[in-house]
Amino acid sequence: MKNLCIAAGLAAASVSFAGAAQAWQPTKPVEFVVTSGPGGGTDNFARVIQSIITKNKLFDQPIVVVNKGGGSGAEGYVYGRQNKSDPHRVIFGTNNAYLLPYVAKLGYKYSDLTPVAALALDEFIIWVNGSAPYNDAKSYIEAVKAKPGTFKMAGSQSKDTDQTLTAMIQLATGAKWIYVPFQGGGAAAVQLAGAHVDSNTNNPNENVGQWKAGQVKPLCVFSPVRLAKSDPVFEGKGWGDIQTCKEAGLPLETFQMPRTVWLPADVPADAVTFYADIMEKVSKTPEWQEFVSRTAQTGRFMKGKEFADFVAKDDAANAKVFEAEGWVVK
Amino acid sequence: MITRFWAESATAVATMAFGLIIVYGALEFGIGWDSSGPQPGAFPFYTGLLVALASLGTLALTIGRRIAGNAGLQESFLDAERFKRVASFFLPLLAFVVLSVTLGMYVATILYLVFAMRFQGGYGWLPSLATAFGAAAFFYLALEKFFQIGLLKGPLEPLLGL
Amino acid sequence: MDNVASLMHGFSVALTTHHILLMMAGVLLGILVGVLPGLGAPNGVSLLLPLTFSMDPVSAIILLTSLYWGALFGGSTTSILFNIPGEPSSVATTFDGHPMAKQGRATEALSFAFLSAGFGAMAGVILITLLSGWVAKFALKFSSPEYFAVYFMTFASFIGLGGASPLKAIVSMGVGFALASIGMDSVSGNVRLTFEFDALLGGVSFLIAVIGLFGIGELIITMEEGLKFEGVQAKVRISDVLRTAAKLPRYWVALLRSSLIGIWMGITPGGPTAASFMSYAMAKRTSRNPAKFGKGEPEGVIAPETADHAAGSSAMLPMLALGIPGSATAAVMMGGLMIWGLNPGPTLFTDRPDFVWGLIASMYLGNVVAVIVVLATVPLFASILRIPFAIIGPIIVAICFIGAFTVASKSFDIWLALAFGVVGYLFKKLDYPIAPLVLAMVIGDKAEDAFRQSMIFSQGSLSIFWSNALVSTLMAIGVVLLLLPLVGMIAQRLRGRTAQSTV
Repeated sequence: MKNLCIAAGLAAASVSFAGAAQAWQPTKPVEFVVTSGPGGGTDNFARVIQSIITKNKLFDQPIVVVNKGGGSGAEGYVYGRQNKSDPHRVIFGTNNAYLLPYVAKLGYKYSDLTPVAALALDEFIIWVNGSAPYNDAKSYIEAVKAKPGTFKMAGSQSKDTDQTLTAMIQLATGAKWIYVPFQGGGAAAVQLAGAHVDSNTNNPNENVGQWKAGQVKPLCVFSPVRLAKSDPVFEGKGWGDIQTCKEAGLPLETFQMPRTVWLPADVPADAVTFYADIMEKVSKTPEWQEFVSRTAQTGRFMKGKEFADFVAKDDAANAKVFEAEGWVVK
Repeated sequence: MITRFWAESATAVATMAFGLIIVYGALEFGIGWDSSGPQPGAFPFYTGLLVALASLGTLALTIGRRIAGNAGLQESFLDAERFKRVASFFLPLLAFVVLSVTLGMYVATILYLVFAMRFQGGYGWLPSLATAFGAAAFFYLALEKFFQIGLLKGPLEPLLGL
Repeated sequence: MDNVASLMHGFSVALTTHHILLMMAGVLLGILVGVLPGLGAPNGVSLLLPLTFSMDPVSAIILLTSLYWGALFGGSTTSILFNIPGEPSSVATTFDGHPMAKQGRATEALSFAFLSAGFGAMAGVILITLLSGWVAKFALKFSSPEYFAVYFMTFASFIGLGGASPLKAIVSMGVGFALASIGMDSVSGNVRLTFEFDALLGGVSFLIAVIGLFGIGELIITMEEGLKFEGVQAKVRISDVLRTAAKLPRYWVALLRSSLIGIWMGITPGGPTAASFMSYAMAKRTSRNPAKFGKGEPEGVIAPETADHAAGSSAMLPMLALGIPGSATAAVMMGGLMIWGLNPGPTLFTDRPDFVWGLIASMYLGNVVAVIVVLATVPLFASILRIPFAIIGPIIVAICFIGAFTVASKSFDIWLALAFGVVGYLFKKLDYPIAPLVLAMVIGDKAEDAFRQSMIFSQGSLSIFWSNALVSTLMAIGVVLLLLPLVGMIAQRLRGRTAQSTV
């Protein structure tokens, strides 16, 4: 069923790109629907894009940002369903667009959305407390394996990316943590800095403040290649000096969260092309590149088939974990 | 005339029903206590139960006092005149909400203000219309233009090109 | 004192004409969002955020924080005048502020509110100046059990306060808890109690409840009584403001106690709303005339306002030093910090002293500017009460419903506000206390989360709440606060006296 939905989305996307005439233009103010509360990662993502579009006058109509973060973002996608075929509502999210319907009954299906583009991939790093005796991922995992169910992993709410990644590590390595869900990455960062938990899997941006102070340290990043080089953050080490988890010997290579843009279902194909082109222009501006490097994300623009393929692959990988952990709602 | 007894009893029954709905909704998620503490349904379940029990207590107390002949309960909660005043305020509120979701909030605001001032406040047409349109214009400028928050709109606004 | 030297440097950064103008603009805008219920400081700040991307971070944060101060002040204004809390944290101000306005003492109430708020904010900023390093270290000691203990303390200080029927108080608080648990449960990742109804996915907003329970409920009662606002002063003079200011030092005990409570709740995760409730409760408990509270006692305005602003300003410290936003507004500002390229954290103080100390200096200046600006508006606001009720009443109705819609742009919320209005009317007429409901809605879900996180930490053992000195102390204070009124009540019963008081 789920795969059918994805296939439908794929088909919709490819149809959109078949008729790529630049006919459609917004005719009234465009609403940017943010699937997180004010201040959240998705909120910053949408507002930076808003400011870039406005500053560079990429289109004429004004942009209104609306936060609909209830139900970990489901509220925004349900809003998309309610505004079916309205091309003036652009929805900003992550991979939660296609993953949320697995784990909770939320009143929308992935087929209620039309994929537009992804602009960046947010990275995940295993962090431990700054004074912990581990200097690489391998030795930490071994320590966890030696005492199963005593080490604590902090992260954002249950069944979200952090816990999914934790479950993946557990499945791949046989280690076992107590997962403690907090309200967000910021709280997980402080809990780790205060040594109330043993590790977290925060995005770079969520832990950088504590890393600068040496309160936490990164072990490895779940990315196929190392992060872009940067100025040193702590004791001469910068983002580019963090080992990838594969280098560190973990049997788990990639875990990344796309920053995604969607439209409601049944919008004109031209409108999808229009927004995809706008987003592509945004992704090439120096302001965007600066934002991406400052938050240590990986800039990667995807649209059309490339994006649909990414979604299908990411969806399958996550769904496997959800099944294994018994999170899928009937 | 509604006596205080009936008002107390009806409210207690209503809060009891609310409590029971919460209890019912919580049952879906497990209400026990496992190795990681209370299950997701436990807190709502017990608060719902507490509300229902406390409501039952209020109800029992009210009925008990009535049997004992407590004078306070025979007092009027809402007599005919007060009922008329409440109704004449509440029904327009209801109309405001219905109009808001059908014709949009600006139209509802204007109609409601004109109605309240002209027919309930006894002001002339001119001040009533001026206040109503002035208020709507203020909301439009402050919210729509300045804070960029769109209010509910009905079929009329697009015709005016707003 | 290093910090004092840094602060002086901060003043040199903050004290420019450009920045003072930004402060005034921010405060005025803030008053506007604060006055409109539903539209709050978080909305105002997120609206201005895109504007700040092209500003330098110091100017940007000055604009945003000034807007925050303005919103806090604006929120109290509507609480006092119309019983509609414009901001969540000004709910407790309605308890005595609105009765004062009804008695024709609106000018006095507003002046007390603004002056004591200014005092509280200053207390908070002074704390940040002197103790920033120590507080940042202290706050790191807090984990879920300590969080729960703080929420527990807040509840404990409030329980047993009212003289209403205990059964009714339990119903009220239980309804609040139940409403708070609707929507996404972050500990389990389940969506609870929505009954598959889309409009409930985001939960029931506390703001909608407040607009209905206080604003609309109060209007229905006013209409039923056939009353207008009574005894409105013939003239509002600036000298009334000054006379009130002269009376303020009499309440020095309340000011100090409330500042301490506010600062405490600001640096621990309680937040401004909980701080104002707790401060109100403590003021009433320690007062020699608790019966006067709820009927227009100035101390009932001073206590919540001082604590609210002390918490609001001291909550900036955990935000800067740890990256924990102490309030919804701070969460938005933190988003801004990241976009400006500043990462909140322990090293922000040393990495970007210009920014941090410029901000702290601007908090001193911004609050002075804010107090002056709002005091100047007192005659204006107080004279709104002279507009006949037949005009202002319907306008308040429109503001309530429009405000309800602006919270989340959901038409369902308008219905909900109306329903809460009916509940507010019934509860008030039947002597159900509303404050426990509101408090439970504000911190109920946070308390539940903290409790369940603690249980995950300890794998289901309650002993975690006595596992270290900090959490044990907090829990012990909570238990004492909880038991004191019971002891008092039993003692009074034994002596055959009846306690008469209401919240």
